[in-house]
Formats: sequence, structure tokens, C-alpha cells
Amino acid sequence: MAIDILIAEDEPSILESLDFILRRAGWTISAVTDGEAALEAVRRLRPRVLVLDVMLPKRSGFEVLKQIRADPELHALRVLILTAKGQQQDRRIAEEFGADVFVTKPYANAEVVSAVRQLLGRDGRAA
Amino acid sequence: MRAPIGFRISNRRKSLKISQAALARLVGISPSYLNLIENNKRDIGGALLNRVAAQLNIDIDELAGRTEQKLLQDLEEAFADPMIESLPFRPDERRELVAQYPASAAALATLHRAYSSATANAEAYADRLRSDPLLGQLLHQILSGITAVRSSAEILEDVTDLDEAERRRFLAAIGRDARTLSDVARNLIGQFETSSRSRRSGSPAREIDDLIIEQQNHFPLLEQAAEALRLEIEQSGPFGIATLTGLLQSKFGVDVAVGGPAPDPEFPGQYRFEPASRIMWFQGASTLATRQFQLARLYGELAAAEQIAHVLESAILSTPTARRLAARAAGSYLAGAIVFPYERMLQDSEESAYDIDHLRQIYHASFEQVAHRLVTLRRPGAEGIPFGFLRSDPAGRLTKHFPLPGLLLPNSGHACPLWAIYGAFRTPDALLRQVVRFSDGSRYLFVARTVQRRPGSFREQPVLSSVMLACDVLHADRTIYGSGLDLADLSADIPVGPSCRLCTRRNCASRQEEALSPGGGRAETRAPLLPSDFALGDPA
Repeated sequence: MAIDILIAEDEPSILESLDFILRRAGWTISAVTDGEAALEAVRRLRPRVLVLDVMLPKRSGFEVLKQIRADPELHALRVLILTAKGQQQDRRIAEEFGADVFVTKPYANAEVVSAVRQLLGRDGRAA
Repeated sequence: MRAPIGFRISNRRKSLKISQAALARLVGISPSYLNLIENNKRDIGGALLNRVAAQLNIDIDELAGRTEQKLLQDLEEAFADPMIESLPFRPDERRELVAQYPASAAALATLHRAYSSATANAEAYADRLRSDPLLGQLLHQILSGITAVRSSAEILEDVTDLDEAERRRFLAAIGRDARTLSDVARNLIGQFETSSRSRRSGSPAREIDDLIIEQQNHFPLLEQAAEALRLEIEQSGPFGIATLTGLLQSKFGVDVAVGGPAPDPEFPGQYRFEPASRIMWFQGASTLATRQFQLARLYGELAAAEQIAHVLESAILSTPTARRLAARAAGSYLAGAIVFPYERMLQDSEESAYDIDHLRQIYHASFEQVAHRLVTLRRPGAEGIPFGFLRSDPAGRLTKHFPLPGLLLPNSGHACPLWAIYGAFRTPDALLRQVVRFSDGSRYLFVARTVQRRPGSFREQPVLSSVMLACDVLHADRTIYGSGLDLADLSADIPVGPSCRLCTRRNCASRQEEALSPGGGRAETRAPLLPSDFALGDPA
């Protein structure tokens, strides 16, 4: 079953509100709470966009991103990275490993929605 | 640009309560002409300015505004601050301020200076805090909490058609996060109390750390100096011991002696420079790598004393010990940069996948020298893999340390007993690698090996140390030490911590000390080797 968005976020409250606002914006959502599960779920669910937190248990968001980019079947997946404010280093690493968009915590809900919309808008994966 | 002289004459005259007419009479001009001068509509100088200054009993430099130049410059800087530069200042406002209200102008300039230095301090502390894992973790929790609260609150505010169950769900989430945030805040305050206590005992080593962290292990000034020196050395012969020895003799009158009695029998060591007799002595059994490196250091220290002094000047080094140690560290850095020229070293490192043994062959260098140099490959735009560096003595005490952002390498004392740096002692001279995972999930590749100084006699105890390099596991596949390892296999990770005090793995069998628990009261250690979960009498 293909879905629009996979959320990988371990903070339950953040996950809950992300799930709510993205669902409300009209997309189909699935969620995981650690890096290991994120890798497994992108392979299984084939989301169009991955909303990926940097600080995940088991496998960091960067490792997940690196593996996705190294996998010929997954490397075109659009990835939105949630980074923490002030962590310039994180941002540089995420850029190096090929993140598509960043949203900085604490964010406004509208920022996430518009970033996802932008990613889905230029999604050429069907080709 | 100068504050108008007329204002200053007028101010000074008024403060002395002399009328315009009276002053005009005293200096021999008409009141209307003085009026023009005071309104900056006529220039004044020469004899007339001298007479006015004399009558107003004020230094001519002060009246001519030369002492105000600096103040005006300071104000220029303050007014150019991005925070206020968009305010609608009048074109002459700074000059008028300096002329009319010099004390206020000085106050403004002083405050701006204080503000700039406070901002710089705050940034330095923020850097410092970022490298502290406990604070980092607490800050992460705070940020997560705020993100969750903000997001839930926005939903409650913006979504008008929420049903009652959803409304209650998000309200409950806000309540839950607010409670968590309070706990975290309490912990944070506890942490600050602990930090500020320990902060007071700032050691020389800590000050040097600050210097190194601030510079991110890279000193462009020393790199430049080293590049020039290397060129100079190569002009008189191939780089190596012979050429360095010749240059030290011809340029600085230093003789190199290998073997023979130590200049100081109380403290033989591997080498020794005696400034009085201009002799650089090496123990006969010292390695060629040691000789080459120490000759390069001596040459660098003698030839680039100015650059070293300059690097040290920029640092806050409060004690003579700190200054001495920092000078030594700068000398080592310079020597490393001379022995391993930056661009060549970076290229050789990349080509050999950071194979330390291979690099030793190319540069006739020791393991520690190569490892140390790898840490400094941080030139912006031409960076190598970011490495952290640690050295330990056989008692486990950390004796040298170069930080890696994100990874907590303890400043002193002991690291985690599970680290490769200690494992390396079990198999001397063999390289040990391990992939470790911290409790926050971050993973690193550790590579360690023992190094040894050669004793000069059977009676001397061999001095063994262990040297370790650490890099983020993300870069491990670019090193030869990642080859053959399945870096994606988490089950092979060795679960470690920074040190027992800072580690949250409560049930670790290697735990030797209770974890520090700020704000939450300190757990009593019942028996030092028992995990605290075990009941008394548990046969652990």
C-alpha cells in the first residue's frame, strides 16, 4: 500500500500533532518512532515523502538518510529533515547526505505543511 | 570625521558660566564673530584657538577634538550595530552627541563595548554547552517539549472544527508536555549549579581546551608559518633529520647530539634542549620519528616564535602554567604542520583511506604524530574527516585530548572503561577498532593503539600510552578501518558511555561510579561494583 507521507519521530506529542496536521491537509500518513523502523517502513510502504527527525533511537536520522541515498531503489525519495534550532552542524551534515528540505524545531505547523506541499508538488517519482 | 569645535567652545564656556560677550572680549574678537564660531559657521585655529583654550582653561587637544576621535569611532561602531542601524539617526547626530554630551556618548560607547563582549562570551558559552552531553540532552528535551506544546496549541487555536475528543486530546498533550518541561527545567537548573561549581576550578588544561575548541583544532596562522618553514627547509636539502640538523646549526647555532650522557641525569627522557649550551640532545635509542619531529619543533619554535606568541595572545590563559602548556601545544602543532604539509597530507590521507600505518611510512612518523595531524585537517573548504583524539596512560588517566563536536571526550580523569583506548593495552602495538553506540543513539568508530617510548636502561620503566582516534560512524566507510565491518549492523555495536559519571546506562556491568544526577538527588553507592538495580545480597 503506497502512502503519501511517512513520519519518523520519537516524541509522542510531536508525532501526534504532526500526524493530525498532515492528515488534515489531506494526505495519507503512516508513522514510526525509530530509525530502524523508518528504513523498514520506507521499503515496505513506499511513501512519497519522509518526514525525518534527526534524533531517533536505534539509528539516527542521518544514518537513515545516508542509507536511503545509497539504496538505488530509494534514493529518489523526498526527505524533509526536522532539525533543532542552533544545530548548524546538523544542517551541514544533512545537506551533505542529501536532505531535500529542512524545518527547524520549534516550528509553526504551517511551515511543515507548506514544506511537505512543496515536496509533493515537485514530486517526479511517478516517472 | 570630527565633532564640531564650535559646540565644544560653547559647552565649555557655558559650563564656566562665561557669557559669549565676555569671552569675545577676553580673546579680542567681536561677539558676533564668536557666535559664528560657536555655531560652526566659521573655522577656528592657530593663535585664536590657543587664546580661547587658555581663557577656557582647557587643553587645546581636547578643545580641538583630538581626544574625541576615539570616542567618535567607538560611537560609529555602536551606531552601525545591525540591531540599531535602521533607527532614523540624523547625519550629524554622533558628532553632536560627542560634542554636546560627551559623557553620554562615552556611556553609549562603553555600553556597546560591554554588550559586544557579553555577546561574544555568550556565544563562547553556547559553544561550550553544545559540547556538554548532559546539557545537550536536556536542551533537546526542552526543544522537543516546546515544539510539541506549540504545535498542539496552534491546532487548538487554528482548527475551528475540532471535536470534543480531539480538543481534549491536544489539551492533555499540552498539560503532559508542560509537566515534562518543568521537570527538565528543574534538572537544568540543578545542572547549572553543578557546572558553576566546577567551573570555578578552571585548570590550565581546561583553558587550553577552550583555545583549541574555539579554533576547532585548526590554526591557520601556524599552518602558514609551517608552510613557509617547510619551503625554507626543502631549499637547503631533502626534508629530514640531516637537513634539519644542518639548518639548526647554521641558523641558530644549535648542535644536535645523539646518545651519550643525558644533560639532566635526574630526568633523562627521550630528548632535551639546553638553551644555555645550545645543544639538542637525543637519547641514543630514540626513534627516528621522534628525532625528526622534535627537530622540526625546535626549528619551528625558534624560527616562528612570533607566530606562536600571536596565537597565544588571542587566548585567555590566566596562569604561567597554562601559558607554558599552550606554548608547548602550539610548538607541537607547528612541528606537525611542518612534518606533514597540509595539502599533501590531506591528499595522502584520502588516497590511503586514512591508513595511519601507511601515512607513517610516507612521512617517517610515529602513530601519535600522524593521529595528531589528522585531527588538525580542518581547513575550511579543504577538510578531512573530523576526528577526535585521546591519549591515556596505563592507569587510564587521560593525558591529551582534542575534541570532536558532538562526541564527549572527557577532559581529564577517565573515559568509559569499554573504550578501545583501554582495550588497546591488552594487545600492545596492535591496532584495535570498534564501533560504539552511546545511549543517545550516536555511533562512532574508535581506533586505538599503544605507543611506547624507548627506555634507556633495563632499570627504566617503559612508558606506555594508548592513543585513540574517534570519528562519526557516518564517515567510517571512508577510512580503511571501516573496511570489512558491517557498519549498518547495529547489533555489533558496543554500548558505551562517555564516563561512568556522565553515563545513563544504569545496568552496565562495567560501571565503576554512580551516574551524576543533577537536581534528582545523588544515588547512594552501596557497593562500588554492584549495579544499583540489584538488591543487597544479590549474587551479582
